[in-house]
Amino acid sequence: MALLAITALAGMDLAQWQALLNNVAFAICLGAMLFYWGGAAFPQVQLLTELGLAGMIGANLTIAALLTARWIDAGYFPLSNLYESLFFLAWGITALHLVALHWSRSRWVGIMTAPVVTGIVAFAALVLPEDMQVAQPLVPALQSNWLMMHVTVMLLAYAALLVGSLLSISFLIVTRGQDVQLKGNSLGLQFRPPQPQTHPEWAEATLPSPASELAYAGLRSSRPSSAELPPQPAPEGIPWQRLSLAEILDNTSYRLIGLGFPLLTIGIIAGAVWANEAWGTYWSWDPKETWALITWLVFAAYLHARITKGWQGRRPALLASIGFGVVWVCYLGVNFLGKGLHSYGWFF
Amino acid sequence: MIIYSLPLARWVSSLQRYFRHELMPLLADLRLAIGLLLAIAVLSAIGTVIEQEETAAFYQAHYPEHPALFGFLTWRVILGLGLDHVYRTPWFLAMLILFGSSLAACSLTRQWPMLKVARRWSYLTRPQSFQNLPFWTYLPQQSLQGLPEQLRRQGYLVFQEGHRLYARKGLIGRIGPILVHVSMLLILLGAIWGSISGFKAQELIPSGSVASIQHLTGAGDLARAHLPTWQIRANRFWIDYAPDGRVKQFYSDLSILDQGQEVKRQTISVNHPLSYRGVTLYQADWSIDSIRIRVNNSPTFQIPVLPVRTETGNKLWGAFVPTQPDMSQGLTLLLPDLQGTALLYDTEGQWMGSLRQGMSLALNEVAPQRFPSPLTLYLDEVIGATGLQIKSDPGIPAVYLGFALLMVGVVMSYFSYSQIWALQTETGLYLGGKTNRALVTFEREFDRLVEQQKFAFSLSQIPVEAEMG
Repeated sequence: MALLAITALAGMDLAQWQALLNNVAFAICLGAMLFYWGGAAFPQVQLLTELGLAGMIGANLTIAALLTARWIDAGYFPLSNLYESLFFLAWGITALHLVALHWSRSRWVGIMTAPVVTGIVAFAALVLPEDMQVAQPLVPALQSNWLMMHVTVMLLAYAALLVGSLLSISFLIVTRGQDVQLKGNSLGLQFRPPQPQTHPEWAEATLPSPASELAYAGLRSSRPSSAELPPQPAPEGIPWQRLSLAEILDNTSYRLIGLGFPLLTIGIIAGAVWANEAWGTYWSWDPKETWALITWLVFAAYLHARITKGWQGRRPALLASIGFGVVWVCYLGVNFLGKGLHSYGWFF
Repeated sequence: MIIYSLPLARWVSSLQRYFRHELMPLLADLRLAIGLLLAIAVLSAIGTVIEQEETAAFYQAHYPEHPALFGFLTWRVILGLGLDHVYRTPWFLAMLILFGSSLAACSLTRQWPMLKVARRWSYLTRPQSFQNLPFWTYLPQQSLQGLPEQLRRQGYLVFQEGHRLYARKGLIGRIGPILVHVSMLLILLGAIWGSISGFKAQELIPSGSVASIQHLTGAGDLARAHLPTWQIRANRFWIDYAPDGRVKQFYSDLSILDQGQEVKRQTISVNHPLSYRGVTLYQADWSIDSIRIRVNNSPTFQIPVLPVRTETGNKLWGAFVPTQPDMSQGLTLLLPDLQGTALLYDTEGQWMGSLRQGMSLALNEVAPQRFPSPLTLYLDEVIGATGLQIKSDPGIPAVYLGFALLMVGVVMSYFSYSQIWALQTETGLYLGGKTNRALVTFEREFDRLVEQQKFAFSLSQIPVEAEMG
């Protein structure tokens, strides 16, 4: 049986491979999401979260294989239509999920990003009609190296901003109904009163409870949180106070948006320079470029809200959550507004 | 003199005080900046939802007064507020200018002083000072030994004086935002300068003709008075067709003439414009200007052709070709494109035949009844015209410099500015640090630092005598 399967696989052409990878990617994403959510429901079963992580890595590799197959098939980097760009975005989110996980070591990263990736892949693989999945030759105006530069950077920016804003949403979930005191905001100032070994407001976050997995055992077991250590008198040394879950989510979200923002800036500029070289105008207020600017402005407001006195905590996180919607309008919503070089085409 | 200058001086100084103590702090207020960013975002979004630059009739048809959209959005509201051209309205431009002022004020009153503060650091001399740092610890019995090397390995710039140590890295993360603000100002100023001193024009130039820049489609006040005096000669215009008749590329062989002298010559095509003294010529459109024909042994006539409207919307050009010297009789000649084939019809609309460029057609052979006497038509040349989009934007250098600095600035702004202090006392070592952006990774770095310091200390505690013995 196994031998039959292998020969069947070897006999497949690139198009069949693509169809297979397309479905496998969806199945793996769905699995990863269910494992992550199972891990959230049963925090004591470490295996679930680890399987979720394995699923996300698998999804990343499957999507990479799918895009590579299309690259070989079409002869140019596959970003010509909505289907391919959706898969590239999904790939970017799974890759940045790994970065965010490496920084935060929190399962919230997977809980938040897995459903979004699954949604994107499901939309691309199952909802988009067949004729929109086929690679199409590029319009003459788009046959340029600037296109690769502009589109790849923009999609990676969207991916980073989406993962960052998802973590801000998770921050809002974790701190719901609390008065937030964060250690060191972006000004480098300390807002949390010094030495609150177990500050009542953070009791939930610093104790190993389902809402908090600071001691996410598989990765973080070697680093007990301060709450688990007995308070020690000065002669034996003062253990230093660790970041709480909320602080970790807040800062990881900030770092990802901080990564997405330069990418967005470079992507917009690449588009503007390209337009100026080809058509003689670097800005024409076309809906897509206007929405890219709106995205840029909203996240610029977020970055500034973080350094505003008394605004740390939930207010910037709310702005970032709004940014989540704005990125989607910029990426997909513009298709409803009008046609142009930026339109992917629509199927209604 | 003194009587008059005193109140003036007082007035100037009070104005200065107002500027420094009232206006600047207001403009530099971060909440104003955030409000402006979001307001510009919302206004820009309105411009993508309401159709822009349409006719009044369009808005009357789509935004009627009864029923009003959302109860208030009628065409009167849209035209009254200028929502039909959001990005050109005075209030949108005023908001951009306010945004620019806020940027400038913020850079001057906040960022620059903050950078100076960052460069003027100090050692921490008392253990109590460490309690104000977000990350700090106390390691009993330990010393500064090995710490500077450890910090240097992690990329820190280390300063040490006796028992005190200060280290920092990522100062470019402090310079980045300043660069971002300066470059944003450059882009805004470049855009304003471009709209004042730039112009746009369109010229349709037949092959072999000379034209100056005169058909302006938009020009700033400064540009109108200083339009270029040089001229453009279209040496030749042609189209490359694919075998199936699709257009592959448009080409124009252009010369720039300054006082009659050719100063530059270049063939342009779509995506490959010509630039001369800050003015760029883009291949944008084309047309057919005229045909050169002969009848029997006549000299060559150049007959203008005119665009004809077709029901399908395709381009088509037509001309009347007289066959009698008194123009009493003639033929209609139609050209579908610039491939050089013309279709001939008589005055009744009867198709007579087709004629290729450089060839001839003996009409008396095609239609002997209508043309009993020998009548041969020669199509010598079909003369095309190139449609040029001409643009000058003197703001481009500033905008491009702004783009370059902005890209560098945003990347620099990603770096986190990290500082570490250490103080060795008689009992042990105080170690603390802070960073402005990457808290999570800094926590890990600090953790590693503490662990390595503890490890080095435990190694040094192994009795040396044992080894010697």
